[in-house]
Amino acid sequence: MIDHLSRRTLLKGTLATSAGGVVMNWGDLFHGPASVAAEASPTKKRCILLWMNGGASQFETLDLKPGARTGGTFRPISTNVAGAQICELMPKIAQQMDKLAVIRSMRTSEVDHPGGIYLMHTGYRPTANVRFPEFGAIIAKYNGREATDLPNFIKVFSQADAGAGFLGPKYQPFGIGPEGSLPPFSASSQSPEVESRRYQLRSFLEETYGKVHRAETSKMHREAYEASRRLQGVRKVFDIDTEWAKHSELYGDSVFGRRCLLARRLIEEGVSFVEVSQSSYDSHADNAVWHKALVPPMEHAWAGLLVDLHQRGMLDSTLVVWMGEIGRTPNINNRAGRDHYVRSWSTALAGGGIKGGQVYGESDATGVDVKDNPVTEGDFFATIYSALGIDPKKENFAGVRPIPLAPFGSKVVAELLGS
Amino acid sequence: MTHRSDDRRLTRWPFAALVVLSFAQSAWAAPPLQDVIDNEVHAAWQREKITPSAPSSDAEFLRRVSLDIVGVIPNYDETVAFLADPSPDKRRQLIDRLLDDPRYAKHMAELWDVLLFTRNPPGSEADKREGLQNWLRQRFAENTPYDKLVRELLKAEGNSIEQGPPLYFVQYRQRPEDMTEAVTQTFLGVQLQCARCHNHPFEPWTQQDFYGMAAFLARLQIVSAGKAENQNKLMVAEKSTGDILFTGSVKDDKPGKKGDPVAPKFLIGDPLVEPPLPEGFKEVAKFEENKPPQPPVFSRKDQLAEWITRADNPYFARATANRLWAQFLGRGLAHPVDNLSDANKPSHPELLATLARELVEHQFDLKWFIRELCNSQTYQLSSAGPESDPLPRWFQQARVRPLSAEELIDSWQVATGFESSLKPDAKKKDGRFSPIDGGYMIRFFGQPNTGTGDFQGGLHEHLFLSNGPVSQLIVSSPGSLFDSILKSTAPWNERLERLFVSLLSRAPTDEERQKFSEFFSADEKMNPDRLRDAIWALMTCSEFRFNH
Repeated sequence: MIDHLSRRTLLKGTLATSAGGVVMNWGDLFHGPASVAAEASPTKKRCILLWMNGGASQFETLDLKPGARTGGTFRPISTNVAGAQICELMPKIAQQMDKLAVIRSMRTSEVDHPGGIYLMHTGYRPTANVRFPEFGAIIAKYNGREATDLPNFIKVFSQADAGAGFLGPKYQPFGIGPEGSLPPFSASSQSPEVESRRYQLRSFLEETYGKVHRAETSKMHREAYEASRRLQGVRKVFDIDTEWAKHSELYGDSVFGRRCLLARRLIEEGVSFVEVSQSSYDSHADNAVWHKALVPPMEHAWAGLLVDLHQRGMLDSTLVVWMGEIGRTPNINNRAGRDHYVRSWSTALAGGGIKGGQVYGESDATGVDVKDNPVTEGDFFATIYSALGIDPKKENFAGVRPIPLAPFGSKVVAELLGS
Repeated sequence: MTHRSDDRRLTRWPFAALVVLSFAQSAWAAPPLQDVIDNEVHAAWQREKITPSAPSSDAEFLRRVSLDIVGVIPNYDETVAFLADPSPDKRRQLIDRLLDDPRYAKHMAELWDVLLFTRNPPGSEADKREGLQNWLRQRFAENTPYDKLVRELLKAEGNSIEQGPPLYFVQYRQRPEDMTEAVTQTFLGVQLQCARCHNHPFEPWTQQDFYGMAAFLARLQIVSAGKAENQNKLMVAEKSTGDILFTGSVKDDKPGKKGDPVAPKFLIGDPLVEPPLPEGFKEVAKFEENKPPQPPVFSRKDQLAEWITRADNPYFARATANRLWAQFLGRGLAHPVDNLSDANKPSHPELLATLARELVEHQFDLKWFIRELCNSQTYQLSSAGPESDPLPRWFQQARVRPLSAEELIDSWQVATGFESSLKPDAKKKDGRFSPIDGGYMIRFFGQPNTGTGDFQGGLHEHLFLSNGPVSQLIVSSPGSLFDSILKSTAPWNERLERLFVSLLSRAPTDEERQKFSEFFSADEKMNPDRLRDAIWALMTCSEFRFNH
């Protein structure tokens, strides 16, 4: 009989793939929990994604062009980092600038929403034959805790739908609604008495079956059942009402603020990745009006989150990513809107693994092109993975095709890393 | 019940060494292929010093082979009858019966439908596929030789609704590169996708090979043939001119670079010899809608369909034999099943060669092949045993695979008697997964579904099982499992047997009898809530969730 260890080695030797197929398989399924845990960094950083759905304008947030014909209506303000200025709509973030690394030289390759949302969640462009996983699933896989009562990949009001892709159901996101509602079937539909009777009976069946049937599939099935039960015990973490009164000032009284507080609570409970999303930045008309309405509550919550994480000593171990799927055009169109633009735009990183208080890269005087240090989507994700202690060159398999976490040829932006 | 002793065999694997002897002395008058299978697999055990598990019990075999051939567990009566049947070749008879059952064609069609289209086809035109599904079902019902089936699919004649086959290409929306990747992987077990963007890193395939194959499909056009039942009828037309352009390696790609035309060339072999176009030939500017498209002067697509399915194509028969083997034995001899490259050596090379040769000699007769597989002693081993790999590499223990979404709903319906409570047209009205929403079934159980053993635990599946609509299947109508047990005045033992045989296709063990008697006897009368609990537990436990 092949023992456990040599079977793994054997599988690695034969391409380390499970079944391939036109239907995609489950990544390196046989690199079971044990080996993944051993490969993961001992620090196990976590990540919060603040997602600006529709694509926030760099000109009205992090990369102002005062005086240029492309500049728009808002003025720049100083921040707590000498020489770094951002939009006047963001006074609270301006006071947290020492924690931020702003990237003003994003150059990405999908200019429309579905493609952009896919790209900026997976690092890859959509293709017909490979289902790439979102980076939340990757972080759940490499930095997630094995024995946990909460799922490792949680999304609040997310518009992305790539999910776990070829990494398989174990890393599927747990999706929370815009107002904090849990996904379908999360709430127990049985009285505690019935639930406990069923649990006893089912556990008995699993145990007797497991005694003679040793295939690990039934073990996985059993463990997932246990996890679904444990979730019932920790559901109160999703109910932020009790804590909200204390924090509404810090986060600002907005739904996005509430979502950010929920993210902090989940991270505090050990969840490895939480996405919170705000819509709707797709300002093809009245760009300034939309940003004036959307940015202040968003930046209030963002700043509040950074302060809260910092005060709790969690910021060093929590990476906070701020981005949308695209940037917006330098030109203001005849409806006072800005359209989609990916040749030059901005994102920001803060916290775990990131050297704050800096602006990386630069766009030219009108924001039409990147002036220096362009950062592609691949570079961006390679940097995120590195900051989290995950090797971006690590490979998973879709069928027989090895897929590195960040696309082949991506560069880690070392200047962004630190602390 | 007479089969109690039978189930005790489940726990007998430590004595499996004896089986090796009995294999050698087997006096079965068996057709050659199934003997070849057992001999080759046995030889590998000896070489690898592996002890196989015991032969499966009748109950274990019945459930497994029913799920594998007709996609659903046996019902109570079928199970009782099979277990009580004293005839020595009842397993062989069962296999024959199942292969003749109309549910065989339905099951095969559903497997191939997912294989050809995945759960999320690249083009939304293929979201509804009734025409193609009917076509597949009919082909499997008639036991159309597999090479003929593939040829018809790839020639794509007719339209996507009345005939079906065109839908396969339609899903790729005139992207010959995507079609090429899919066709070579699915039917030849050759994975060219790396060579699409750069020469393959560890296989002989170059980008020229990839585009040489894509050239066969570069002239295809999707043409509308009107509407039927609110769906577009689509046809695959082919032009007589036009080439695929190859721009070189993606990393050297520059915007505006046009690329050079690549001539069609079979993957291993010669360039296609094409007759010259007649003098003064004028290409169709645009195919007319609602009319059978004018055929090309010379069809590259048909040439590809013929070449792929030729008996002497070194990949086709091997890929087919390997895929069918994996469907029933869990993992391919070369695994993953759709990768027959040199870097992915088969575990039993001689056996794979024989299977492929025999498949050609039997004109790609699928039922014959499946019959040989299922009658082998290898297939009929027990899944009880010490091996933790659900797909043991040496086939020393039966594989364990999850039920597909379709198998799961059908088996639940049979087990609970939901099916018999349905009005005849209810399924058509309420959808394939009635009474459960099909979207949920696909979302929670639809993947993985490669027809093999891939499985991962998932939290969502259990939230659904515990809190979702599964309990709607536990109906109380007359004749249902719930009703017959609740109303029964038979002794506990008999009622428990009914419960276990209906759900798990086996009698309860002594331990289970005791546990369940205690569970029910907590109340004086049979408590309907507790009966529901018990049915639910048996519907959702691992023993039900997997084919083992």
